[in-house]
Amino acid sequence: MDTVKIFYKDDCPLCPSAKKLKDNLKQHMVNTLSYNVGTAEGLAEATFYRVMALPTILIEDDGENLVKEWRGTVPKIEEVLYIVNKR
Amino acid sequence: METTDLNLFVRTSEETISDWNREKIVDALIRETFIDLDTATEISKEVEGMIRKSGVKVVTAPLIRELVNAKLIEKGLEDARRKHTRLGMPIYDVDSLILHPNKENANVPHGPEATNLTLAERIKKEYALLSVFSLDVADAHMNGDIHLHDLGFVDRPYCSGQSLEYIKKFGLNLPHSLSMAKPAKHPEVLLAHLIKFAAALQSNFAGAIGWDAVNIFFAPYLEGMSDEEVKQLAQMLVFEFSQQAVARGGQAIFSDINLYWEVPKHFVDTPAIGPSGKFTGKTYGDYEKEAQRFVWKLFEVYKEGDGSGRPFFFPKPLVHITEKFFKTEGNMDFLYHICDVAADKGNTYFVFDRGETAKISECCRLSFKLEEKDLLDAKQPWRMRYCALQNVSINLPRIAYAAKKDDTKLFNLLGERFLLAVKAHKQKRAFLEKLLSLGENGPLSLLTMNRDGMPYLRFNRASHLIGMVGLNEMVQVHTGEELHESKRALKFGLKIIAHMKLLTEKMEKQEGIKVVLEQTPAESTSYRFAKLDLHHFSPLSARVIKGDISTGEVYYTNSTHLNIKSHINPIERVTNEGIFHPLIEAGSISHIWLGESHPTKEAIADFVLKTFKYTTNDQIAFSPEFTICNRCGKTFRGLHEFCPSPTCHSYDVDGITRITGYFTKISGWNKGKLGELKDRYRNGEYFSKKMLVANE
Repeated sequence: MDTVKIFYKDDCPLCPSAKKLKDNLKQHMVNTLSYNVGTAEGLAEATFYRVMALPTILIEDDGENLVKEWRGTVPKIEEVLYIVNKR
Repeated sequence: METTDLNLFVRTSEETISDWNREKIVDALIRETFIDLDTATEISKEVEGMIRKSGVKVVTAPLIRELVNAKLIEKGLEDARRKHTRLGMPIYDVDSLILHPNKENANVPHGPEATNLTLAERIKKEYALLSVFSLDVADAHMNGDIHLHDLGFVDRPYCSGQSLEYIKKFGLNLPHSLSMAKPAKHPEVLLAHLIKFAAALQSNFAGAIGWDAVNIFFAPYLEGMSDEEVKQLAQMLVFEFSQQAVARGGQAIFSDINLYWEVPKHFVDTPAIGPSGKFTGKTYGDYEKEAQRFVWKLFEVYKEGDGSGRPFFFPKPLVHITEKFFKTEGNMDFLYHICDVAADKGNTYFVFDRGETAKISECCRLSFKLEEKDLLDAKQPWRMRYCALQNVSINLPRIAYAAKKDDTKLFNLLGERFLLAVKAHKQKRAFLEKLLSLGENGPLSLLTMNRDGMPYLRFNRASHLIGMVGLNEMVQVHTGEELHESKRALKFGLKIIAHMKLLTEKMEKQEGIKVVLEQTPAESTSYRFAKLDLHHFSPLSARVIKGDISTGEVYYTNSTHLNIKSHINPIERVTNEGIFHPLIEAGSISHIWLGESHPTKEAIADFVLKTFKYTTNDQIAFSPEFTICNRCGKTFRGLHEFCPSPTCHSYDVDGITRITGYFTKISGWNKGKLGELKDRYRNGEYFSKKMLVANE
């Protein structure tokens, strides 16, 4: 099953819509993990995925291979669901 | 005042023999401590009684002081005893120092000047731990929780980065110097000013002296010179720096020259300064060809090596690879040229400035990232002067021993040690501030000279470095796996460094000083920490400490590096080590140990390009090994016990390779680094495969 990883920070302008996306994806039963880069765990994970812009949204498959990414932008939920459901 | 009739002589510190005078004890106690006159008099009488009873006829001043100290302890006056301490060394230690080389820093040779340096360093170290730092900070250093670097240079900042523009504009006009020189008219004179200024700076900083964009700032002086003349100048520059082993303590100046193929964006529109310190009417962007000519020739010199073909140890050439590099004509030819030097002599450091990043690099890996206000200064580059005041490293594995696999304890202890390091920075900063406040009549007069409306040392912009030693072993103790053994271990290591990074940001806001992480070179610290932890935390520490415990050649893996012994493909190493680099603002490096292999320039270039494009690694260097024969004078690839020349076979040989971040003779290395050298996994095989592919 694919996992959607969302990276955000409390004070970034586009991040509220990323958090909203996270809530909506959870309602659609999509496996979603979110990381606040203002915490050690979030920053570590963001560094691992070379996140340079916020918010960043990644989709990974079961084997943790990258399927799709949005860096510095927030996709529409339909776009994410299309990729996750298609697979 | 009472007088005494004791028939006793005192050998004083002023090289005289004086009559006994008990009042001198009282005077010293009143002057140096806060005890009252009655107690001081009582102590002086008790000491006099002891000496009278012993029957000796001559005593030394140090002996009297120690007897007084013993009385202070007897009376429970510990604070007064501390203030009354005499700093110095036992005869046995001085004897040993004069006879044997110092192995703490491989860049210190053995000779009378070096002995002076070491003796002075020892006293200043003691002074620092007693007088500059508080007891908790000093104790944390002594017991190995943290390491305060360069304590022997406590009365100066750590290191400095600047450009030639300062001496081009203002000449060589140093406080208290016997003569002043106006701005140079000729390139050779500019070079002479550069070397002298670097030597003067070395006397005022503990560590490296770095120079920004050297080929670009030299360029206006090179117009009209033939290629041969430019080559000659390049040769002079490298030889002058590399043969400055007559400066402080007989040490060569730890010097770095930052070089560019392109004119970096922030200097393109900067008005150029030419001969006599005058603006030429052009910008540095107009001097790209001259700058390229000079950097090309510099690398020809590095490729040739010294008079017997050995690699130059200093100045270290740091080539910045930027996005613009790839858009600048001739970039691939230049890349092959510097990769040829990297493969052959190992000198080239590849510094990656991706995106909009701009920085000055120096020391073993330190870098000053240029912020927006620094880039504004680039219009007047003589203002671009950066320094780090001090470097404090944290012993990470020790935190893991104490945490006993409990995450909360681990992060809590890390926070405590971090705060202690920041406290040490504040104390050193306050001490330096006191010295600098004495202005041009004080000990740091050079740093207070004011030629452009502000002191040379831009104190308010100084960085405070916090380093880490042994992340690999910390993760190994805490998770059971080393950084290279699983993604889980690697991510846990990242979490540690991310936590430290967030703490730097918090401290900056809270304390108003710039606190940044650096991969400490830790030439002797990784050995010191390992030795101390073997003593205090065995058997747990013995399971993770690297090297050979039976010979005492032990060490912790440096900073955030992966286990040096593990057989990791070099591209995987630079990728995984590079993941940490964005969190370590003040500089990182990955080493590729070549051993005796000699890759092609194409293989090295391919590796450099891949590192730039596909990793977040900040800096890489390729390290070959050499043997030089002191009898026949020849240089050979690889480390050999005796001279490989069939006609020589002398055992009088020296091995040369890179220690932490610079080339040096192995005979000067400490035991920990010797252990590391034996463990280094050489990547010869990877590059020979590359060579085959290239040949096919």
